[in-house]
Amino acid sequence: MAGEKILLVDDDYDFCEATELLLQARGYDVTMAHDGEEGLEKVRSRQPDLVILDVMMPKMNGYDVCVVMKADPELSAIPVILLTAVGREMFKTSYTKQMGLMTEADDYIAKPVEPQELVERIEALLKEE
Amino acid sequence: MLTKPSILVVENDAAMVNRCGRLLLSRGYKVRTAESSKEALHFVEKYRADVDIMLLSLELPDLGAMSVIEVLHRIKSRILVMAMSSECGEEAIEAIHAGAYDCIRKTFTNARFWTKMNRVMERFTLARHLEILKKERESVLAKDSCDEGTILTILDSMADMILVTDQKGNLILCNKAVVESGLLSGRRLGRPVEECLKNKDLVSFMMATLQSGQPGRPFGHHEVCLLETGDAKLRAHINPVINGDGVIVGSVALLHDMSQTDAMNQVKADFMSMVSHELKAPLSALLMQISVVVDGLAGDINAKQKDLLGKSKEKTKGMIALVNDLLDLRRIEEGKALLVIEPLDMGEILQRSVDLMSLSAQEENIRLEVNIADDLPLLSADRSGMQAIFVNLVSNAVKYTPSGGRVTVDLNMAGKFLRIKVADTGLGIEKADLEHIFDRFYRIKSEQTRSIGGSGLGLAIVKGIVDAHKGTIHLESEVGKGTMIIVSLPLEK
Ligand SMILES: Nc1ncnc2c1ncn2[C@@H]1O[C@H](COP(=O)(O)OP(=O)(O)O)[C@@H](O)[C@H]1O
Ligand SMILES: [Mg+2]
Repeated sequence: MAGEKILLVDDDYDFCEATELLLQARGYDVTMAHDGEEGLEKVRSRQPDLVILDVMMPKMNGYDVCVVMKADPELSAIPVILLTAVGREMFKTSYTKQMGLMTEADDYIAKPVEPQELVERIEALLKEE
Repeated sequence: MLTKPSILVVENDAAMVNRCGRLLLSRGYKVRTAESSKEALHFVEKYRADVDIMLLSLELPDLGAMSVIEVLHRIKSRILVMAMSSECGEEAIEAIHAGAYDCIRKTFTNARFWTKMNRVMERFTLARHLEILKKERESVLAKDSCDEGTILTILDSMADMILVTDQKGNLILCNKAVVESGLLSGRRLGRPVEECLKNKDLVSFMMATLQSGQPGRPFGHHEVCLLETGDAKLRAHINPVINGDGVIVGSVALLHDMSQTDAMNQVKADFMSMVSHELKAPLSALLMQISVVVDGLAGDINAKQKDLLGKSKEKTKGMIALVNDLLDLRRIEEGKALLVIEPLDMGEILQRSVDLMSLSAQEENIRLEVNIADDLPLLSADRSGMQAIFVNLVSNAVKYTPSGGRVTVDLNMAGKFLRIKVADTGLGIEKADLEHIFDRFYRIKSEQTRSIGGSGLGLAIVKGIVDAHKGTIHLESEVGKGTMIIVSLPLEK
């Protein structure tokens, strides 16, 4: 792990705090944002290596943030993981899949997520880069 | 259509039986024989509908022919009796008095036999025609009692609106709900619909239905559409009215006001997203927090703390499973609308679902065996629904089988059905519980199941999904031996 920069965007502070501990323990450099607009700002200012986006957030939802990122040539290469409360991880519903495709997110994970699962997905995406 | 009468020959003289039999068979009649009056009565009692005409010898040894005629008379039998006698004297007259139709001398010529027989058969035909006429008259009477007034009253009591046109497109019938809806532009019945109805779409749909079956239009076309009139949203079912000869004689529109249904659905949808967000978000945080602490990422913890937190992690996961089950159930209850039907490789889905559970099976030392038939066709179904079926059935089998047991999953074709069979060597289910286990929240409480976690929703979800796919569930179970569940899903709807 070479201290890759991960931006975690989620309006639940408790979730962010715990997830930050998890990711830091894995050697990542973690930044957080708590709504969609702040998230987009930090994507631009910090140029992270990967973004984790909650879907349901105030101001700007995760889908919209993802769409904006993927339409921007300077940001489109940054891998995005969408975290959605719709459906369950075990069953990739057509809905979540469709939303993933439409927003061009690189992966999507249903909440709640097992820490080990999240870490594996992150590692897989960073390896692709 | 009247069938030929069937005939019972009652005669103890074999030569006579032969002669009658041969004559009747030569013209294609169904013939049966009895040697005594007792046998004849026995036969009548047993196969009353199978005897139309009885050729009855008046010279029978036992009870005698008269008793047969009397019994037939008493039970108001429809059987016509043709007596046969050597003499045709007193006894013949007596027989006719008692109810026989006619008498024939046993020394008959073939021609004489047929003259007599034809008369009794004519009589038989007449009687049957009379019966048919009577039945027809009764059914006409039944129809009469459902006169126009009655039908209009019934239609007026409906909350839905109903409109009927004749084949020229004139409005000939509408119920009170239509009048109250303001759909009508005040014209009287008997005028073309375009003059009577404000909604142009409805008019054109009804007129189009009248043309159904004509070149380029499928016959008996059934149209379902949404109409907006003012602030009401109506769901319309429009059908041609087809008479008994298959000719279109009009069109009928049934309109259902959707406004209220919509409002209810909105409440449900709001509730759904409320539950999924308000419960799942804190549960996500909880799961992450506990995991991080258990894994020592927030500082060292001792063995006791680790043990306790490990348990709360399991409890949290149980709650997450419950929320997911509730959401699944909601989704299914809202109906097919939410199913996404696509061609699926069921073998692959089964394998993946089983993979999810192989670990827990291993931990319990349960042999989990999967047999997937080769060359299974694709099944058009909802992917997450299919996964839910597999996961629930297999996880039940694993959960309710003590360690050392075996769980076998077979996936194959049975006729036009895809068959999923999950069998275990587990606890089994008592007869009394069988009828309830598909109910929501129903869980069997016993010494053995007490420590097994679950919400009691799994099988309700399975049933909902199977129903939505028009499939069937078959269950066999023996306490202490095991359980077998077979789900059959039709390849074509
Ligand atoms: N394979 C099985 N063997 C024995 N009992 C079973 C089996 N499957 C289901 N049951 C019984 O039926 C009940 C309802 O099952 P289900 O709806 O899946 O709920 P849950 O597994 O959450 O309790 C279970 O609690 C269990 O008692
Ligand atoms: Mg279950």
